[in-house]
Amino acid sequence: MQNLFSFIVHRAWPVLIVLAVITGVFVVQLPKIKMETNIENMLPHSMDAYVNKKKLEKIFSSADMVVIGITNDQSPDGIYNPHTLKLVDELTGWLQMHKQFRTLALSDLMSLSTIKDIRGTPDGMEVEHFMQQPLSTPASINHLRQRLADNGIYMGSIVSEDGRGTLIVVRPDPSYIGHYHEIYQLIKDKVSEIEARGGPEKILITGRPIIEGVFGAYMPQDMQQMQPMILALLALLLFVAFRNIRGVLIPLAVVILSELWMLGTMAAAGIPIYTVTTLLPILILAVGIADSVHLLTHIRVEAGRGQVESKQHAIIAGMSGMWSPILMTTLTTAAGFLAMLTSDLLPMRYFGVFAAVGIIYAFIITILFIPAIEAVLPHREKVQKKLAFSGYLNWMSRVVVEQPKRIIAIFVIMMLSSGYGLSQLQVNSSLVSEFRPSDPIRLADTTLNAHFAGTNSLDIMLDTGVQDGVLSPSFLAGMSKLQAMAETEAVVGDSSSIAEFLSEMNKVMHEGKQSWRVTPASSDLAAQYLLLYSFSGAPDDFDSFITSDYSQAHIRIQLKSDSSADAEHLVHLLESHQQEWFPNATMEFAGTAYTTFRFSDLIITGQIQSLLLALVFIFLLCLAMFRRFGDAALALLPVSISVAVIYGIMGLVGLPLEIGTAITGAMALGIGVDFAIHYLYRYRYYEQQGLDHEAIVVASNDDTGRALLFNALVVIGGFLVLLTAHLYPQVKLGVLVAGSMAICYLASCYLFPVLLKARKA
Amino acid sequence: MKLQKIALIVFALSIITGMTSVLSYGEALTGVQIMQRVDNRDDGDDLTQKIYQKLIDRRGGVRERFIIAFRKDYGKDSKSISYFLKPANIRDTALLTYDYDGTARDDDQWLYLPALKKVRRISSSDRGDYFMGTDFTFEDIKQTPELEDYNWTLTGSEVVDGHDCWVVQGVPKTDDLKKNLGYSKTVNYIRKDIDLAIRIDYWDRKGQELKHFHTGEVKQIQGIWTATKVVMENSQTGHKTEMVFSDQHYNTGLSDRKFSERMLKRGYRK
Repeated sequence: MQNLFSFIVHRAWPVLIVLAVITGVFVVQLPKIKMETNIENMLPHSMDAYVNKKKLEKIFSSADMVVIGITNDQSPDGIYNPHTLKLVDELTGWLQMHKQFRTLALSDLMSLSTIKDIRGTPDGMEVEHFMQQPLSTPASINHLRQRLADNGIYMGSIVSEDGRGTLIVVRPDPSYIGHYHEIYQLIKDKVSEIEARGGPEKILITGRPIIEGVFGAYMPQDMQQMQPMILALLALLLFVAFRNIRGVLIPLAVVILSELWMLGTMAAAGIPIYTVTTLLPILILAVGIADSVHLLTHIRVEAGRGQVESKQHAIIAGMSGMWSPILMTTLTTAAGFLAMLTSDLLPMRYFGVFAAVGIIYAFIITILFIPAIEAVLPHREKVQKKLAFSGYLNWMSRVVVEQPKRIIAIFVIMMLSSGYGLSQLQVNSSLVSEFRPSDPIRLADTTLNAHFAGTNSLDIMLDTGVQDGVLSPSFLAGMSKLQAMAETEAVVGDSSSIAEFLSEMNKVMHEGKQSWRVTPASSDLAAQYLLLYSFSGAPDDFDSFITSDYSQAHIRIQLKSDSSADAEHLVHLLESHQQEWFPNATMEFAGTAYTTFRFSDLIITGQIQSLLLALVFIFLLCLAMFRRFGDAALALLPVSISVAVIYGIMGLVGLPLEIGTAITGAMALGIGVDFAIHYLYRYRYYEQQGLDHEAIVVASNDDTGRALLFNALVVIGGFLVLLTAHLYPQVKLGVLVAGSMAICYLASCYLFPVLLKARKA
Repeated sequence: MKLQKIALIVFALSIITGMTSVLSYGEALTGVQIMQRVDNRDDGDDLTQKIYQKLIDRRGGVRERFIIAFRKDYGKDSKSISYFLKPANIRDTALLTYDYDGTARDDDQWLYLPALKKVRRISSSDRGDYFMGTDFTFEDIKQTPELEDYNWTLTGSEVVDGHDCWVVQGVPKTDDLKKNLGYSKTVNYIRKDIDLAIRIDYWDRKGQELKHFHTGEVKQIQGIWTATKVVMENSQTGHKTEMVFSDQHYNTGLSDRKFSERMLKRGYRK
């Protein structure tokens, strides 16, 4: 290795040119990079929620709907005034004229202007639009309100019970899957146009496609904003650490090159950027900088000790002393990320692979670029005798040497309380609550869920396996029982199925008497009602609830929250009654709520597996490096404590494990283990030189301790930049990784040496 | 003398020109005149026929129905009664319709559900509503659209399935009509020899292609040109309806009593 560094130092220019050429090759690839914002493409295609979602789409033509809410809190009659009704009609007409929406059947576009009143009359039934034209007279508007109340079907789903809101529910055209952000923008522009005219109404836009579209669009947007912030922060921290421009620019150049190489590799491999992988640049910047920080600190400490005479020798000596721990920490960090390959989620796997690739690039660039550039740049005139933070480092050495019991006591208390916290840790994911409370999307979703039946769905697919099986009275009754039970849950706003339609038809055909609102008593009657209903609907109106051969049916339950815990509870509740309601049919779940539930389940089990695998990988690497079982195990201790403590704190403050927070563990493990490895490497170095514990601590803290402090500050600072993100998963991830790094730093620099002394004794 | 000669030639020429324009009358029909010819085409005063309906969804799932239908014309109005024969669970379900010319009066419909043993009146369907769950709307199922609601333009001639056809474009006159009908434009291919529409293309209000109507076999039964198979396909939903007509009997003098509530309940008997 010494030969390599000698080679680099003496042929610095060619090395720099080669690095520049390689960078050029990667930069040329960058324009090829693509974004993947379609959340569906992130699901593993073997996952039951995905398979069932596709099945639901295929068999029942079911789709997630865009929801536009119009509320009026200013008029005494809420939405029941000419101005608001005209607005509903205008928006409905506008949607019908845009190819971004499918508006063929009633079920594609539901609003006060499209829904129909089916009423039982003494001699038959009457089918009529509630509002054929925008109403303007008080009498006609009162009549509309009365009819909506009498009919009941649309109460809660299209108009709110309190009369202050109404919904327009529209289906995005299937050709716009993956382009939901465009649909959001289109509607937003129309809404701005309406708002510019003034009026008492508020218009809210939500629905799963919108939430997914915006979610997908926010992340890359955030990354573009955060990149300069994190670079500025790194520059500031580097200046504090090194007090000169060179110390700022060299590490920054290393990480920027690493980032370009990593992105270039991604582009060349044709891997798109997913919402999760937008975190990679920040990760590479914050983590990749550690190598150069350690290297530069070491070179300067060596130079300060005056043991080397020429610049070339100082560089070669510094490199030779440091390449091995840097390689080691690079490998352990990369191993931590590669453990994410166990994930079932494609974006997670790419995240792991490219994080590892980026970290390895950072190592390669560090050991090639730093000696070369240091050799090329003019020799530093004066060597700083007093390096930054020396006072703190001396204090730290004193505490470690003099107060080992107190340190151990503090960590034991931390571990005990986090043990309790871990037992309280819950699993719950919700896409909507990942938006900041002030975000228009979250506001819209919260408001509409408070007034209406709910913007999330749990879909149940039932298969009887026989023609006309669904029409049997006992099966239909089972569906009604399921709906009745589901609707007793607070989170359920409404539910619909073919059983509900048939009950409604039964009522209509019996002079509208409420007592007849039950499922038909015979299979023939059910078939005849379906025929009758088809007279007033489009040919595929029923496709979403029953198959052509009447063998399979679909129940949609609307939920007011997209929390995975609520979905899980409901799924288990309904499953427990399957034998009783549908003894001869299969029951499968799908829908946004089910996807969230299964998705979070998958991420969390995946992350636990990754975490365990990362522990094993890193332990084996440590064993290979230190060749002592005890040392390798001890090296894992600080970071394990920090991960346990951070999850414990999550349990204590009631922050659930979810998509954003579950990834913390494996990330923290890979990054945090570096601290102990650096420390242990240095500790053993001085140990071999025959120093006693106290002297070792003082000496280690002076060089490696200093670098670790900078390293910790840079990583913590880098992840805290995520606080500025639009979306909570990034904010939470930033806080949690930063927190665990802080704990890991403390555990590595205070607790670790105490334990190392115990090991010696 | 010379002047007389010139006058004579001018006179002769003008007669010839006049004659040609009279002779070419048949080709100078306007769009609306062609549609009137379609409307006036002989379709018998009454008709008995069997209808086989096949509804095919986008995934190829099929729902079949067998119907026997009777129709009788009362001037421009008509009455019809249809009995469902198959599948078994809707057998004897029957529909009675009084179809009034023009849009001033809503059509009347009664339905008999055997499982309920009750006749129920079903009021008012919009012209743009789908008929009996097929891809045909109430407007499509009529012999011809309401002619005065469209601006008709003859855009040319084209050969369709080996037949020389007029191509007549129909655009609903007002935005309200477009909204009601669900169409912004229709293009009708009318066979010149028998005044029958054998292909119709429909465009939705966004200007996108919506549906395609096509006739299969057309044959003369009792001297009346009759399509025995029609298909309507919605190109946006992928849903398709096929109808096959058989056992036609025209002008058998169906009695008025056939189109009554009592007959609706009694069901179809051979």
